[in-house]
Amino acid sequence: MRKSITLYGLTFSLPLLVWQLLFFLFPLVFLIALSFWTVKNFRLQPDFDTANWVRMYGREVFWQAYFLTLALAASASVIASVLAFPCSYAIAFKFSETARRWSVFLMVIPFFTSYIVRVYSWQVFLSDNGIINAALAWVGLGPFGMLNTTFGTMIGYLTLSFPLVVLLQLFSLMFIDRTLIEAAHNLRCGRLRTVFEVVIPSAKVGLVIAALFCFILTFGDFVSPLYLGGGDPPTLSILITDTTKSGQQWPRAAVIALTMIATLLTVAFAAIGYAYRGRGR
Amino acid sequence: MAEQPLVEFDGVIKRFDSFVAVERMDLDIHKGEFLAIMGSSGCGKTTTLRMLAGLEAPSEGEIRLEGIRINDLPTWQRDTPMVWQSLALFPFLNVRENVEFSLKMRGVDAAERRKRAGHWLERMQISEFAERNIAQLSGGQRQRVALARSLVTEPEILLLDEPLSALDAHLKVRMQAVLSDLQRELGITFVYVTHSQSEAFSMADRVVIMSRGVIEQIGAPQEIYRTPRTRFVAEFLGSSNIFAGKVSQTRKGQVAIETPTGRYATAQSDDKPVAVGDSVTFAVSGDRVQLSAKTPKGEFNTLQAKVVGEEFVGATATIYMEAADGTELRAQKSHDELRDLSIKIGGNVFVSWRADAGHILPGE
Repeated sequence: MRKSITLYGLTFSLPLLVWQLLFFLFPLVFLIALSFWTVKNFRLQPDFDTANWVRMYGREVFWQAYFLTLALAASASVIASVLAFPCSYAIAFKFSETARRWSVFLMVIPFFTSYIVRVYSWQVFLSDNGIINAALAWVGLGPFGMLNTTFGTMIGYLTLSFPLVVLLQLFSLMFIDRTLIEAAHNLRCGRLRTVFEVVIPSAKVGLVIAALFCFILTFGDFVSPLYLGGGDPPTLSILITDTTKSGQQWPRAAVIALTMIATLLTVAFAAIGYAYRGRGR
Repeated sequence: MAEQPLVEFDGVIKRFDSFVAVERMDLDIHKGEFLAIMGSSGCGKTTTLRMLAGLEAPSEGEIRLEGIRINDLPTWQRDTPMVWQSLALFPFLNVRENVEFSLKMRGVDAAERRKRAGHWLERMQISEFAERNIAQLSGGQRQRVALARSLVTEPEILLLDEPLSALDAHLKVRMQAVLSDLQRELGITFVYVTHSQSEAFSMADRVVIMSRGVIEQIGAPQEIYRTPRTRFVAEFLGSSNIFAGKVSQTRKGQVAIETPTGRYATAQSDDKPVAVGDSVTFAVSGDRVQLSAKTPKGEFNTLQAKVVGEEFVGATATIYMEAADGTELRAQKSHDELRDLSIKIGGNVFVSWRADAGHILPGE
C-alpha cells in the first residue's frame, strides 16, 4: 500500500498550501467575520450582528445590481464564446503550423498592456466625439452613443476575456482526434454538420471552461462597467466600492463580496459538472 | 471478366508534394470479393484505401465506382464506410448512438434508426452494451461497435484499415473469423489493408502486394505463395530461398541456371519463358527444401551451407543457413525431421530441392 501523503509530496505542495491559507482561506474567514461586524460613528466594531445581511438582502438596489451583473457576465460569456469559436476553429483546423504559432502569439500580446490602459483607450474610440463617431460623421452617420452604455460595458468585457477564450478554445480544439472528424465525414456527415455533431461535443470540456473563465473574469470586473458602461445602474463590484465609500460600510460590502464568491463557486461547479457529464460513467 | 468491376483504379497517381505515395495504379475490385492490400508501412496501401473512401483525392487518373467517376465526390456523398485502425468511435456518444450515427446523418427517423441499429447490435452480439460508453468496452467489443457502425447502412463495400492491429493475438484470430463470416454472409466487398501476412492470407480471396506505391502482385493467396512474381514478393513473404543467375541451357521444360553458388535446374516459366543468356531470379519455397547430412541421391539441386540459426513456430521450425558466398537460405521442417537430422548451429548441412520446386520470378 502506498501512503496517500508522503513527506516528499508534502514538501513540494507546502508553498501552495501556505499560499492558499494565507491569501484565500484566512481572508475568506475574515470576510465572513467582517460581515457580522457593526459600524458605529464611522468606526468598525467586532460584533455578531446579522443586521448587515438582513439590510443588504432587503434592498432592491442590491438585487437589481445582482441580476444585472449576472446577466452581463452570462451575456459576455455567450458572446465571447460564439465570436471566439470561428476564430479558434480556423486557427486549429485551417491555418498552417506557422500561421497557428503566430496567431497564438498575437493572442498573447494584449496581455502585455494593462487592462485599464486598454479600457481607457476604448474611451477614445467610443465617446460621442471619439474616433468611431468622427469616422461615421464623415460618411454622414451618427453620432451613436456608445460610451456609458451596455454596449460599452460589453466591449470592455470582450477586451478583457476574448483573447483568453480564443486560447482556451484553441487548445481544446487542437486536441481533437482528427480521425474522428474524418470518420464523421465518412459516415455521411457534411462539413458544417460535423462541427456541431463531432467538433463541439469533442471539445466540450474546453469550450465550457473557456466560457466559465469569461464569466469569472467579467462577473467580478469593476473597470469596464464603470469606465465604459458609466456605472449606472451599478454592477456588484461598483456597489461594493459605493458601499465602502458611504459611511465606512465595510461589513455590508463584505456581504456583497461573499454573495459574489458563493455565486462564482456555484456557477463554476455547475459548469464543470456539466462539462464532464457523461464522461467515464 | 465480363461483369463490370465494382471499383476501378485507372492509372491513379497520388503525390504529396514531391513524394509519390501511389504510382500509376490499375486495379479492379470485384463485387463481393474479400480483397486484402498488403505491404510494409509507407507502401501506399492506406493511401489507396483513403482515395477509395474519398479522404484523399488522386493527383492523376480516375477512380470509378460502378463505372462512375468518383474522384471529386466528397467522402460524405460516397457510400464507402471505413473501419479505422484506431476505430475512431465517438467517445461522447454511447454504443447505440455510435451505431445510429450515419442513419441520423441520412435523416432516417428515430424509430427506424433504433430498429436498424438494434438489428446490428444484435448481429454483432453487443446489444447488452447498447447504453454504455465507449470507454467502458473491451478492445473486441469496440471492434464490433465499429463494424456495426459502418455496416448499419448496408453498404456495397466496406473499407478496413488495419482494424485488428491493436488486438492481442488470441482476439485477433477470433475477429478474423468474425470478419470472414460476416463478409461471406453479407456478400459485400471488403477491402482490407494490412501489413500482416497471416491476416491477409487467411481471409482474402485476392491479395494485392504493394511496395513503394507500386503493385508488385495481385492474386489468390495460394497463387502468390506458390508463384511469387518478383523478388520483393518472395522476400516479403519471407519463406523462400532466392537465387539470381544466368540461363546456360534450356530443354524439355527445364532450364539450367548458373549462379554464384552453383548450377541449378529449374522448371521453365509459364508466364515468361526464358532463353539462354537471360539474367533470371528464381525462388525455392522453404517448405520444399530437403536437408541432409550427406549428398542426397537422385535428381536434386544441391548445395552445402552452414546452419546459422533456428526458430520454432508451433509445430514447425525454420532453419536459417548461409551458403559459402553468403547467400541466405531457409528451410521449414517439422520437429521429427529435425530430430533425425541432428542439426547443430555452426554445423554443415546439404540443402537440396527438385527442379520443379524452383520458380522463376517472371517480374524480374
